[in-house]
Amino acid sequence: MKRVLVVDDSIAVARQLEKIINESGDFTCIGHAKDGAQAIKMNHSEDPDIICMDMNMPGMDGLTALRSLSVLDKDVKVIMVTSLGGVGDKFAEALKLGAKNVVSKPFDAETVLKTLRAL
Amino acid sequence: MAVKFFGQFLIEKNLVTNEALLRAIDLQERTNLKLGEMAVAMGLITSRDIETAHSAQYSRDMKLGDLLVELGMLTSSQLDDVIKHQRATHIYIGEALIKVGALTPDQLEQYLADFKIDQAEYATEQMELPEWLNKNRALWEAMIDLTYKMITRIVGVQFRTSTFEEITSIAPGRLLAAMDISGDADARYMLAVSDKTSKTIAKAILREDDVESEPEEVIEDSVMEFVNIVCGNVVAKASQDGMLLEIAPPETIHPPDDGLPIPKGMRGLNFPIHLSDGDLMELIILAKV
Repeated sequence: MKRVLVVDDSIAVARQLEKIINESGDFTCIGHAKDGAQAIKMNHSEDPDIICMDMNMPGMDGLTALRSLSVLDKDVKVIMVTSLGGVGDKFAEALKLGAKNVVSKPFDAETVLKTLRAL
Repeated sequence: MAVKFFGQFLIEKNLVTNEALLRAIDLQERTNLKLGEMAVAMGLITSRDIETAHSAQYSRDMKLGDLLVELGMLTSSQLDDVIKHQRATHIYIGEALIKVGALTPDQLEQYLADFKIDQAEYATEQMELPEWLNKNRALWEAMIDLTYKMITRIVGVQFRTSTFEEITSIAPGRLLAAMDISGDADARYMLAVSDKTSKTIAKAILREDDVESEPEEVIEDSVMEFVNIVCGNVVAKASQDGMLLEIAPPETIHPPDDGLPIPKGMRGLNFPIHLSDGDLMELIILAKV
């Protein structure tokens, strides 16, 4: 069972993602970080296999956290889940910083799971 | 499900790899020079001139090109030449993917057609707007149209709209979920919703049949997320037209009893959305003028 950390300032999105992940049968959500800084801390303490992270968050945003994670932990696979996925520059920056993929909001369970399974 | 960037569509469909797309983006970045870089490459100004103009931009709300003319670093006709040259040498992501060998011209033609079909539901419709919003018209139209489309797609309720009106303050009694948009245009996007409508939105965002026992924080958070999704897609749509915009995290506001005045330097429009359950939702756009 692959362990997934969800990073989003929205409790609503975190709950939605947690539900999709836990009902999949092959992934389990190990927790929820509310911003980039908490994501880095939880990546260190919980050692997830995958991180699903928002871009636009108060405090440390997702791309800044991704930049740090790409240096701190080469093994964790990061997927950005964001309403800004359709912005070419943001999409490109995420891939350059090492994100494996970018899922746009609104998302459906099928797209999220297909992206997770393709890792 | 959302407004997409062509490269994102290709990755999603496994038509190109991340590596190939990054090579194409790298080629685009090396070829598509920014206005200042192009003026330097054409020998019209120096890098130092750009730095001076950028510093002046902090106190002046002007585009770099116009500022370079005002500062006497470029003439108007030189600025036109730079812009023409920029357009003539610009390469799109599809062409860049051909150049790096990731797609053939036939494949590009086919995939662009598929992409157009995929994105057809997000083609923006023309909207009636006051004249003072003629600048960046496509952005305001996207804001209104994508709000309507996301209500249908995410919330799943029927509604009808009625004519907008200009407002000088926002009425109390309803929750406001707001988001600031900045960059090539400055605006504040707001959605005014009743308790009943916030719960309808929360049900859709949380994918729950019943949200009566949910804390208010979760209900408000769901409305903010809806606004976040609309604005993110608006920014994506605007980026296809070459506009660079940023969004701040969303927030909720409970207007005071005497109403919330429109901030100085902005004008406000209210677009009523009459939901089929009899409730009224309002899209409020504040634009810097």
